[in-house]
Amino acid sequence: MNTVDEILDYAIEQEQLAADFYEDVAQRVETAGMKKILLDFAEEEKRHKKILLAVKTGEHELTPEQEILDLKISDYLVEVKTSENISYQDALIIAMQRERAAYNLYNDMAQKVPDGKLKHILLGLAKEEAKHKLFFEAEYDERVLTDN
Amino acid sequence: MSLKDLLSPFFVWQRAFEKPYTTLRPTLDRPGAPAYRGFHINITETCVGCGSCQTICQNNAIDMVAVEAYAGRAGDSGLRPRFDYGRCCWCGLCVDICTAASLRMSNEYAWISDDPDSFHFTAGVDDKPWQDNELGYRRAEGYHLNPPKRIEMPMLSAQESLKSFAEVTLGYNEEQAKKEADRCVECGICVATCPAHMDVPDYIHSIRDGDYEKGLQLMYRTNPFPATCGRICTRRCESVCPVGILGEPVAIRWLKRFIVDQVDKKDYQRILEKPIASTGFKVAIIGAGPGGLSAAYYLRQQGHAVTVYEAQATGGGMLRYGVPSYRLPDAELDKDIDHITSIGVEIKYNSRIGKDVMFESLLENYDAVFMSTGLSVPSSMRINGENHARVLSGLQILADVASDRDPGIGKKVAVIGGGNVAMDAARVSRRLGAEVTILYRRRISDMPADEEEIHECQQEGCTIVPQAIPVEIIDADNKQKVCIKWGEAKMVDDPKGGRARPVLQEDKMHTETYDCIISAIGQSSNLDYLSKELQEQLAFEWGKLTPAEYQHTSMKKVFVGGDFANRTADAISAIEDGHHAARGINRFLNPDFYTALEKQEN
Ligand SMILES: Cc1cc2nc3c(=O)[nH]c(=O)nc-3n(C[C@H](O)[C@H](O)[C@H](O)COP(=O)(O)OP(=O)(O)OC[C@H]3O[C@@H](n4cnc5c(N)ncnc54)[C@H](O)[C@@H]3O)c2cc1C
Ligand code: SF4
Repeated sequence: MNTVDEILDYAIEQEQLAADFYEDVAQRVETAGMKKILLDFAEEEKRHKKILLAVKTGEHELTPEQEILDLKISDYLVEVKTSENISYQDALIIAMQRERAAYNLYNDMAQKVPDGKLKHILLGLAKEEAKHKLFFEAEYDERVLTDN
Repeated sequence: MSLKDLLSPFFVWQRAFEKPYTTLRPTLDRPGAPAYRGFHINITETCVGCGSCQTICQNNAIDMVAVEAYAGRAGDSGLRPRFDYGRCCWCGLCVDICTAASLRMSNEYAWISDDPDSFHFTAGVDDKPWQDNELGYRRAEGYHLNPPKRIEMPMLSAQESLKSFAEVTLGYNEEQAKKEADRCVECGICVATCPAHMDVPDYIHSIRDGDYEKGLQLMYRTNPFPATCGRICTRRCESVCPVGILGEPVAIRWLKRFIVDQVDKKDYQRILEKPIASTGFKVAIIGAGPGGLSAAYYLRQQGHAVTVYEAQATGGGMLRYGVPSYRLPDAELDKDIDHITSIGVEIKYNSRIGKDVMFESLLENYDAVFMSTGLSVPSSMRINGENHARVLSGLQILADVASDRDPGIGKKVAVIGGGNVAMDAARVSRRLGAEVTILYRRRISDMPADEEEIHECQQEGCTIVPQAIPVEIIDADNKQKVCIKWGEAKMVDDPKGGRARPVLQEDKMHTETYDCIISAIGQSSNLDYLSKELQEQLAFEWGKLTPAEYQHTSMKKVFVGGDFANRTADAISAIEDGHHAARGINRFLNPDFYTALEKQEN
């Protein structure tokens, strides 16, 4: 993966895989409410994919310089395994931790390449993932950590 | 006779050619004095339409009229004063009593019209040139016709409180209650805000009249838990009481308690008795918390046979096993529950649905089912090490204490959370002799617990550490102890306007050892008594359910209410849910009656 297009293709595929993942878990969960939430998560991933497709065609610019708030919630939570009876809290933890892993991946890759377009794209992708992480962490802060 | 005297009658004639001061040529050259009591000004945005101006006006010159722009605004009657200048005597009492200080007078005094019927106007709503007048009569700074301070509730000192689980608040005496009742301006804004729509102004009036039996009757119309709510209600009513705009709101909760305290339990039957004619319908209720028992009370009054199934050995739900006795003594909760059973509600204790009796059998054997099983499963923090044996749940500790069991907390504890459960767990721990630190991830002002409780908690010596985020539980050297690692948080504003969020500062971590850590960060429902299919059919989401009108679910016979079916999770909302469901079940059981009634009304 050395060219900008290769990196973008990879990132686009990852978003699709994430959407597939949520759709797959949605098939297995027991309640209609949980199914709906997971399908919403899948839609959110498809939205991310669309943004990256637009980056590839040049219709959308990544913004590596943008400051994104890091609530650092998922960083200290134990991992959750997917199962048929996951709760909303579980689903959010899974989503936050996936976004965090993606953020770390792009960030690490960016550290390894010389300055230039590729680095710019990798840092931009990392920021995109940071935004997604913030989205789920803000939801966790709002809906799960109510008395805390 | 001088010449001047002789000629003066002729000089007067020259006036005959001047234009007269009339409606067409008014004297507008002389302004009113700076503090003149001229036409009224109302700042309608700050006015809440309490109507105290109308009540105090001795000339009936004020009518409260509906103003569309304010219809449905929270804490607002939607009415604004309309003045009749055929009646007004310009005394200014309305300005002096105004609870919002929104009413004042301009120094304008000329209003010219041919039509004598036109001198009515809604100040601040009808466009008048004096609305922005800077001069005119204003209430003197700091002057209050109505005392701004509430009568203080006598309480045990913090030191005394810590010695036992005795009730901390001692209750008003008659003189104090009457004085406090006198502060109510009887606007009724509180009625709309109270989830149960209790008739607050009228029961407060009964204190002025010394007619406590009537007060009790009024309260039971919408709330069969007045002894309880008079002590621990979340009192949304007080948050909108207009007396609280310039001073402290009327102590509605303490006045409710005063009424109940005046009436002996043995007189309840006589005072509240209503003939009950049996309908032959049978209703089952799951859970003897405030939601279940409120439904039971109003259903029984309608003549249905009501059976409540309760898993525990006594009733009251979280009011018994959660709220500690220093806030709500058992005897007071029993006063409420005993009256409910005295009218023929049957409670089957130690009967857990899903184990001792199956839910499906209730569906088969009863005409309707109401469930109010609350939130009993403590939420978990999901941080490393949380399963340590010295991490205890706040709910468990409170249940232990309520059942006279020793929760074994040790001498130095940390409580995690900022809600009611956290405050109660902390205060109970203090009473058990422990040194208490509360770790809360946001600011004290963000805590969902009642402000008074936070204050009392601090008074009793609990240390609150705000902006503290737990990140890990670690083993201590000694198995009887446990360490918690937590980090300081910085509050960051939400650019979208939501509440500020705490952000962990990883370079500001602390580790501390305690005898136990009490986790009290929220709770969720236990729906094990319903099969997965039933949960699906009832459309539960995250263990909660949003009912349709009259608390009805998607299952024909099934109604729900209380903590697991509302957003507010407090006693008064559960009580209203139960009452509302009782009306719904009544309609469901007597559809013909209600259809006929609705036809008649239309
Ligand atoms: C520590 C604490 C402090 C609080 N302080 C306040 C306060 O100051 N003011 C306030 O307004 N509210 C307060 N609350 C909240 C208040 O207690 C609840 O809102 C209220 O009790 C909810 O009533 P409910 O009927 O929904 O449920 P609950 O009171 O929880 O009652 C549910 C009942 O159902 C029973 N049950 C559950 N499952 C089954 C089953 N399968 N079969 C049979 N029975 C079952 C339970 O045993 C329980 O008795 C506090 C709560 C706690 C925990
Ligand atoms: S208690 Fe307050 S809100 Fe209620 S009627 Fe009295 S003055 Fe109005």
